[in-house]
Amino acid sequence: MHQTFRQSMTWLHTWFGLVIGFILIVVFFFGALSVFDREIDRWAQPATRFAPQPMPSFDHLLRPVFERITEPDPDAVELARSMVDGPLPEKYPVMDWSAYTTHRDPVLDTYVSFDVPNARNPDDHVHGHQTIDPRTGAQLSAGDLKIGSEFFYPLHYSLHLEWMELGYWIVGFAALSMLAALVSGVVIHRKIFRELFTFRPQKQRQRVTLDLHNLTGVVALPFHFFFAFTGLVIFAGIYFPVSETQLHPLVEAHEQAEAAATGLPHDPAGVTAPLASVDAMVSDARRRWAARGMGGDVGFLFVNHVGDANGYVSIYRAGTDRIALTGQGIHYKASTGALIREDPPETAIASVNEFLTGLHLQHFRHWLLRFLYLFGGLAGCVCIATGFLFFVEKRKQQHARDGVAGARIVDALAIATITGTLIATLSMLVANRLLPEHLADRDEWQRNVFWLTWLASGIHAFWRTSVVQEGESAPAWREQTILVAALALTAPILNWLTTGDHLLATLQANYWPVAGIDLFLLATSVTAGLVAHRLRRPALAHTTLAAMKS
Amino acid sequence: MMLLLAFLFSFVGLALLALAMERHWRQLHAARPLTKATARLLRIVGSTALASSLALCLSVDHASMASLVWIMTLAVSAFVLAMLLAWRPGWLAPLLSWTRS
Repeated sequence: MHQTFRQSMTWLHTWFGLVIGFILIVVFFFGALSVFDREIDRWAQPATRFAPQPMPSFDHLLRPVFERITEPDPDAVELARSMVDGPLPEKYPVMDWSAYTTHRDPVLDTYVSFDVPNARNPDDHVHGHQTIDPRTGAQLSAGDLKIGSEFFYPLHYSLHLEWMELGYWIVGFAALSMLAALVSGVVIHRKIFRELFTFRPQKQRQRVTLDLHNLTGVVALPFHFFFAFTGLVIFAGIYFPVSETQLHPLVEAHEQAEAAATGLPHDPAGVTAPLASVDAMVSDARRRWAARGMGGDVGFLFVNHVGDANGYVSIYRAGTDRIALTGQGIHYKASTGALIREDPPETAIASVNEFLTGLHLQHFRHWLLRFLYLFGGLAGCVCIATGFLFFVEKRKQQHARDGVAGARIVDALAIATITGTLIATLSMLVANRLLPEHLADRDEWQRNVFWLTWLASGIHAFWRTSVVQEGESAPAWREQTILVAALALTAPILNWLTTGDHLLATLQANYWPVAGIDLFLLATSVTAGLVAHRLRRPALAHTTLAAMKS
Repeated sequence: MMLLLAFLFSFVGLALLALAMERHWRQLHAARPLTKATARLLRIVGSTALASSLALCLSVDHASMASLVWIMTLAVSAFVLAMLLAWRPGWLAPLLSWTRS
């Protein structure tokens, strides 16, 4: 079928790239937003606009919080229904308590795991969860959606398709295909070194889109490769669930052996026991970290077998100065506070794994690297977007002559995934500021606005691309770009009107989470406005769009 | 501060490597041909700048983080460089002032 290796690679790159590109651009875009998920949360939740807090006192503040979480969350109870045959249990016994925080979190997430006594799989458990103000212990409104970390971030890896974990599989397949697209892209790029820095905006638009596609693909190639790969590593447990299937007995045996080796009990003893002062254990852990020359912020606190004689407390250091998320765990006996064990330095394999996952999940304290990741993610979006444009430009005339709708369909899908995604995202932020504060199901309303505006932009894209079939440029591009500009300007204005935190105030107070989001929105508005202005000249439409995107 | 310097070094390094290529050299010096010796000199100085940029990154952060910062810094520098070469190649002229013989 194909004469040469390069031709078959071109075929692979074109068609795989096209099909998975529509998924990947969504993954890249919301991945880029997730780099600043905590900041988007602050923008969307004005009540949480205060400075990040360290892990609060366990004895005085956290313990009462955990003790008031007496049952699983409503959606966790739904999940439990699928774990049992017959009726749901009357009562869910508490298994463990945990709290996780990073240097960017003013609020603290607290979790309680509950056993499901009559579950088919005895390892199954469900969670109860509260987000609290760590200064007072007060629970923050449960219906308040954290748009960044609870909506955009999961969208990035699961597309919010929870059924049968379908979204994870689609994203995983896209990531795997992306690795193939990267390799085939390098193979078909004739002059990868000679044209490394080449961008020729004055040439015809097909050349310009290809230049920009190559440029954003090649300069950020290590980023693209590493993020597709580490994304797969993070969810390897879903894609290769061997530890839950064939190797289950082995994993059980390993856990027992590990418990014996580390002295951390695998199972509860069944004898009740009190809990000693955890604050004393935390200060001891800090001393031990300091002795190793490491800063002592607590990132993750874990109390296992709550109220049992076999209970223990694990304290992990926040990985702010390393790529790994948390580490240097120190474990104490819950009833006495006696040291059980300090985790030894990681084995080579464990530290490689932690590096790979930490690299992707980025909870470290390094603002420059955070912005560099944002650049990488947006470069990926431009690379995919220009790939679509190139596909359309190359075939538009031919398809118009043959009366084929191919180029039009691709153009419409490109509009829906490029400007459409922006419109849905911005509409959600606008809805977040407009919906009444005490509206029931306020979180559901925000989600619905997102999905419905996305759908609407898709319909509009299909409607307003009909001229592509005559070889013309679609008016939908310009119309949606104008809407993006308008929405991106509306959002910061609404933020000002509803919270009083206008840009001058946040900048003066050095409150960067909200100031940064507002600045970003304004920059988006200006860029979209300029693009829309340039798109008035139909002959230059695609060229300038591509150029402006840069 | 050190990281800004690292950024600068990575940009200058890549720019010199780019200008050691015939195509980009001609964007700045249409009249003067690029000699083999100049190209080699540009490559050596450029590579040294890139290496210094890595060293600066390593001086600030743990090696695991520094390597990521350096690679991503290179990506941004390469992108900015391509944009400059496309729209404002003249701005790179100071980087070549010392090669005038």
